[in-house]
Amino acid sequence: MVDDGERVPSPEETLRLIEEQQAATVRRFRGDPLFMYVPWGVAWLVGFTCFFLHYGLDGKPYAPISQNQALTVLMIFQLIAGSLCAYEITRMNIGVRGDTTAKGAMYGYAWFAGMVVMSVIAIRVSPMLPEAESGLLWAGISLLVVGVLYMTGGAIFLFWPMFFLGIGISAVNGLGVLLGPGWHALLTAVLLGFGQIVVGLWLRRRRCP
Amino acid sequence: MTAGNAVPELDPVIHAQARLRVVAALNTMGSGDEITFPALKDLLGMTAGNLSVHLTKLEDAGYVQITKTHKGRTPVTYVALTKRGRLAFDDYTKAIRALLDSAGGTP
Repeated sequence: MVDDGERVPSPEETLRLIEEQQAATVRRFRGDPLFMYVPWGVAWLVGFTCFFLHYGLDGKPYAPISQNQALTVLMIFQLIAGSLCAYEITRMNIGVRGDTTAKGAMYGYAWFAGMVVMSVIAIRVSPMLPEAESGLLWAGISLLVVGVLYMTGGAIFLFWPMFFLGIGISAVNGLGVLLGPGWHALLTAVLLGFGQIVVGLWLRRRRCP
Repeated sequence: MTAGNAVPELDPVIHAQARLRVVAALNTMGSGDEITFPALKDLLGMTAGNLSVHLTKLEDAGYVQITKTHKGRTPVTYVALTKRGRLAFDDYTKAIRALLDSAGGTP
């Protein structure tokens, strides 16, 4: 018998109570997709649209935007996205310790290491390339790191949507690199930028009770 | 089937709404994870006194482990579900599902 009178009314309600509490706990520790995915989608949509207008599909610019201006726009939006993401990760980790926190820290270091090594490779190789190919190199290998680490994150935290997002990023990135700078920027802006906004909003809607 | 004839087959330590929510929340976290008392209180929306009472009962049953430590000079209390607690929750949910199955109900 229950010793404090707080008896759960029925098996159906008990199971519902368990599921609701589990869902609330997952929401608390998985983070808000509005902070985790949507800002990156916006950054890529805006930033790579600028690159697309700079490159054009046939090598002629569609708008008077220089590569440096496009890069500045992308970096500003990515900085904002990174700040929002970091805020949410910090909020998720408040009041918890243990294996998941350690996994998260190692995963964060992996991002840092991946981006540093990617930059070293691009800085070393890009001066040997024409301007458009140099931009494609930077975009291609940075999205390679992002795609692989999204898949890795999905595997570490057993979160299939993140894993599939990583597959999508890798596939679009590979196709875009094959097609050239203009197409890469267009596909990244539309499929990955807009796509990530849609995925983020869908995940947000799904997690709401 | 009604709750009346289901209750005797279920673990009485877990079969109280507040403690069930505590165990369900802790079970959702990883087996190597701990949560501070205030964070658990906020997650469950319970008062400190109420949560403290239920955690004591769960600790007495060996279902949760409570670790008191310090972060700098601030005392911190961490709560985690023990292996025994996880097994008990697993058995409890199996029993609930069996009750539903035998009654022909749907979750």
